[in-house]
Amino acid sequence: MIASKLKEAILSLRPGRVTLKYPFEPHDPEGDFRGYPELDTDKCIGCGGCAAVCPARLIMIQDIDQNTRRLVRLLERCIFCGRCADVCPEDAITMTKRFELSTDSGREDMVAECEVFMATCQRCTRCYEPPTPLDRIMEPGFRDDEIKRGGQDSPYEPVKSE
Amino acid sequence: MNAQQLGENVKQKFGAKVIDFETLGSDQLYVTISPDSLVEVAEYLYRNEGCRYVINGGTDRRQQRDAFLITHFFAQDEEKIYVAIHTEVEPDNPQVDSITPVVPAANWSERETYDMIGVVPVGHPDPRRLVLADDWPEDLFPLRYDVEHGVKPPPVEGLAPERLEPPEGASVVPIGPYFPVLEEPAYFRVFVEGETVVGADYRGFYCGICGYVHSCSYCQAVERAAGIEVPERAEYIRTIMLELERLESHMLWLGIAGHIIGFDTVLMQTWRMREPLMWLCERISGNRKTYGMNLVGGVRRDIKPEMYDDVRNVIDKIGEEWAELAGAIPGDTTLITRLQGTGILTTETARELGAAGPTARGSGLAIDVRVDHPYAAYDRLEVTKCVHDSCDNLARVLVRIEETLDSIKIIHQALDEMPDGPIMAEIDEELPAGRQAMSAVEAPRGEVFHWVLTGTENRPERWRVRAPTYANLQNVPPMLEGNALADVPISIGSYDPCFSCTERMEVVDVNSGQVRVYTEEEFRAEYDQPRDE
Repeated sequence: MIASKLKEAILSLRPGRVTLKYPFEPHDPEGDFRGYPELDTDKCIGCGGCAAVCPARLIMIQDIDQNTRRLVRLLERCIFCGRCADVCPEDAITMTKRFELSTDSGREDMVAECEVFMATCQRCTRCYEPPTPLDRIMEPGFRDDEIKRGGQDSPYEPVKSE
Repeated sequence: MNAQQLGENVKQKFGAKVIDFETLGSDQLYVTISPDSLVEVAEYLYRNEGCRYVINGGTDRRQQRDAFLITHFFAQDEEKIYVAIHTEVEPDNPQVDSITPVVPAANWSERETYDMIGVVPVGHPDPRRLVLADDWPEDLFPLRYDVEHGVKPPPVEGLAPERLEPPEGASVVPIGPYFPVLEEPAYFRVFVEGETVVGADYRGFYCGICGYVHSCSYCQAVERAAGIEVPERAEYIRTIMLELERLESHMLWLGIAGHIIGFDTVLMQTWRMREPLMWLCERISGNRKTYGMNLVGGVRRDIKPEMYDDVRNVIDKIGEEWAELAGAIPGDTTLITRLQGTGILTTETARELGAAGPTARGSGLAIDVRVDHPYAAYDRLEVTKCVHDSCDNLARVLVRIEETLDSIKIIHQALDEMPDGPIMAEIDEELPAGRQAMSAVEAPRGEVFHWVLTGTENRPERWRVRAPTYANLQNVPPMLEGNALADVPISIGSYDPCFSCTERMEVVDVNSGQVRVYTEEEFRAEYDQPRDE
């Protein structure tokens, strides 16, 4: 009994103080940390690859007119897996090291929206007959199960641009 | 014996009642039988072929086959075979014989199958609702394809789950709805006579923290169904991550166990030892707990050769300190008196009710998926089954302590033998539809089981999951019987349960013996809690 207690005491005393001073001192994540997924809107070509792979289904794509594609990201659903950054052909999405992402200003901080200018095909103006594969991934139950049907509480009403 | 031979045995025994059987490799058997022979076949597999019950699932195949598909899954651990028993049920008369009277472990999953698909298990001894909310409509079965996607029935106030009545003369002690020591939602009604527990009722669900085991098991099932060859290096990386997860989980658990019995030194020291491991996982995967590394076909991130030493240093340090801790515990009477002889789960009960993982191994059942049904790189590594047969809380503690040290050895071996090469298989075409496969992974808490039926457009048509806590919690009521009330928390804790179900407040009036359940509104009014929205 005494021997066991002594062993436990040594085990407890040896490491000394291990508590970090965070948040009073910064504590940066190591390695290729997957934090806030930052979108470089200048690089985005609006291909929708990120929307197709996102397991949390937080990216909605709308074609407003022939030349404008809107990307809406509902970041409160983000699980920080980084699949969007993996598949982006233009490296427009970067998983940053930012992890202190709490907000006190309501849900509008969680919604990011950008509009991408889409060039029109000179030959046919519309290469794919609707429904295109892109329309397909926006169908309920496929990708966009909850996003569009937010009703009155839809977080998409107050929109902040990125 | 392999899957083909087992299928022939079943065919020979039951003749025309076996409609068809097929195999996948030498270790997976799919038998389709006529509905009237379900109980016989289940009993035969369970009693004569030494199979262990895994789970039951229902699939709406009215579009393809004009039938509901009811499937019972079994495992034959000695022969390394998983068996699926399919039965097609007519949609006009959705009922099927319950196998719970002959295979007690099927109790919860048959109830769940009824909740989800609406096929009545005829003859079930306890057909109460299990998984749906109390105000969910009686005739709406969410897994049927004619139920609209995302349907939200209006809430109804004042309903309560059906509960088991305590035995004559016993009182009810509610533990929960917020389980006080695990800080998670769980709700037990413990029936006591004086200080002694005479029974218990529990309604709760699922296990979710082991992130890597589920993604790994799911990916393996899809890969198996679609015939995708995973590169060997990816298999080793999966193995290493699975063992790191086991280390992390067992260390966390031992700390919690110490906390439950009021010995917080154990909690603080094991969690201190564990923290460098969490940082290691962050360096490898990009996150300390949700590794997010598995994809169908392999893994997303490599463990680069320059990281090997980092991994070795971290686990060696843990191994040293863990061995010291393990050396101190057997002599510490504070711990031993709380653990020894309490929470007895006999070998027979553990088998009857389908216990898994350290819970089963602490009761003398030598089952471990890593050895019995090898996956990833485990067939090339040395894995020891850590078994204790004293059946008490101490046995479950010792099993986990030994497994932790064994995991460190496995990681070393995997790092030494890991081959070079790609980490993802090339998948160019859409995965084939209509194929099925089973896959299991030994999670820290026990066997995780996944069955996938592939569908079109690279999506699963049906996916059935069984987490280990689902099996283990069914063992709680028999285990609590005969214990003192004070030993209940550690006994429940010794399963390493992982809850994610909420329950409601039950109040027992000591004078009248009346039991009432508060609705959410009443509860909030009583405690004046603001609704956080």
